[in-house]
Amino acid sequence: MKQTPELDRIQARMQPGILTMKGFLGSDPRPLAEILAEDLAAVTAAGVTHAQIADRLAAITRQGTDLMEREVKVEDRFQVTVRDDRGLLPSPFGDGRFAKGDTEVADPRTGRTFRWNDLTLHLIRDHGFYNGRGSDYRLEPGELVTVFGIAPAAPGA
Amino acid sequence: MSEVVTGVGVLSAVSVGLTVLLLVAEAIFATYGECEIDINKGERTFKVTGGGSLLRTLAGQKLFLPSGCGGRGSCGTCKCKVLDGGGPVLPTELPYLNPEERRTGIRLACQLKVKENVRIEIPADLLSVREFQAVTERITPLTHDIRGLRFRLPEGETVRFKAGQFVNLVSKPYGDVTEPTSRAYSISSAPADNRALELVIRLVPNGLVTTWVFNHLKEGETATLIGPYGEFFLRDSAREIIFIAGGSGLAPIRSIVLDMIERGITHRPATFFFGAVKLRDLYYVEEFQAIAAKHPWFRFKPALSGDETGHPWERGLITDVVARSYGTLDNHEAYLCGSPGMIGACVKVLTGKGLPENLVFYDKFS
Repeated sequence: MKQTPELDRIQARMQPGILTMKGFLGSDPRPLAEILAEDLAAVTAAGVTHAQIADRLAAITRQGTDLMEREVKVEDRFQVTVRDDRGLLPSPFGDGRFAKGDTEVADPRTGRTFRWNDLTLHLIRDHGFYNGRGSDYRLEPGELVTVFGIAPAAPGA
Repeated sequence: MSEVVTGVGVLSAVSVGLTVLLLVAEAIFATYGECEIDINKGERTFKVTGGGSLLRTLAGQKLFLPSGCGGRGSCGTCKCKVLDGGGPVLPTELPYLNPEERRTGIRLACQLKVKENVRIEIPADLLSVREFQAVTERITPLTHDIRGLRFRLPEGETVRFKAGQFVNLVSKPYGDVTEPTSRAYSISSAPADNRALELVIRLVPNGLVTTWVFNHLKEGETATLIGPYGEFFLRDSAREIIFIAGGSGLAPIRSIVLDMIERGITHRPATFFFGAVKLRDLYYVEEFQAIAAKHPWFRFKPALSGDETGHPWERGLITDVVARSYGTLDNHEAYLCGSPGMIGACVKVLTGKGLPENLVFYDKFS
């Protein structure tokens, strides 16, 4: 994938202090095109799609959405809290605004914690962007597939 | 081979040169002269020097369209109807405009450059929106992640707003944040307290403005507030009122209740359901208890959804508490303030009990 001028503009909007305090890239020095390409490769290697991953995470969020920040155990495994923040976050790709309010997930089995919000899921589903390394919102595609048990789509599905 | 490299080099140099030339030419020659801005068919007109964005041009005339991103073209809030002179819709606007908006001339004021006379339409209420340079009089920790802020207006200035409306608070540059940024917050004080504005702000992880409020803003410091905005206010009727809020959503409800007291609206029974998870998340409890003790028309029902016991409040999700507090809702109206999730769940409960959706008022800040 080539780092186009458009990706340059998007990457500039991902810097700290532009749309969010810490930005979207963490300490990742790579060009956006490289980040996207590497994550796409991980997703493809796992035999799944960005949309499948986003859908799986959204389903977990939904189970905590109406609980107004009360922690809930999902699938008899994940401890899930959905924060109840007001307001919207703009997409660095310039294609919409998404509700604030993080979903915080702890998995006692692996000791891993995850955090995402509606914008994170949009960036995964529509742009294949999982945040840069070192970002508070970085999600490793391979890890998501393993921990949340995302199965490859059946051929023709 | 070397000829090819030389050719590419020359071509690149020419392209860069032309680009620089165009930029310099635009800076020198592309002054659009004096342009007239006409608002609401002559309700207000003024002449400006062309070349700036419509949003900034209007702000320069103390006319403030709502903007969540400070004109960066990323929030899509600063919409207005352009009747004449806006030029074609830009690609940067398209993601924020639905087909109906594009058809009717709605534009993003932050993207539209004023290059000629422009005629626009904006809601009349926006003409009374003002910018205040207020002193941060008091910062009060209300919970572990919520603060109350009181801003005192400059000597001689007052503010007029409807209880329930909001203002934009503009943060100053700090750390990596190099530009002022604004976010909307409900006013929690009463309109009668017109020499000050009080806000209730919850810290949002990674939030640009809330981080500034919690880590940088100090008492005595001047802050910029722009407003008032919003359509969330008490409707004039005789119906019984249901207020429901969670977290910082308490702010506009407080303003409305204080305003009801101020205006002597005592003929409408009102119940305020305030939802939280833990005891540590509750605030302004004594104040609302005192109001309930003094005013028989007002009831206050905090509810905790967590596992804590030994408190006098309702237990369970606020939606469950509301559901068990009412039978059929046939002479009520409801005012909700909180996250989209909370509002969605409450609307489901209320309409399930027969309350028509047009009698459920809320401000999702969306």
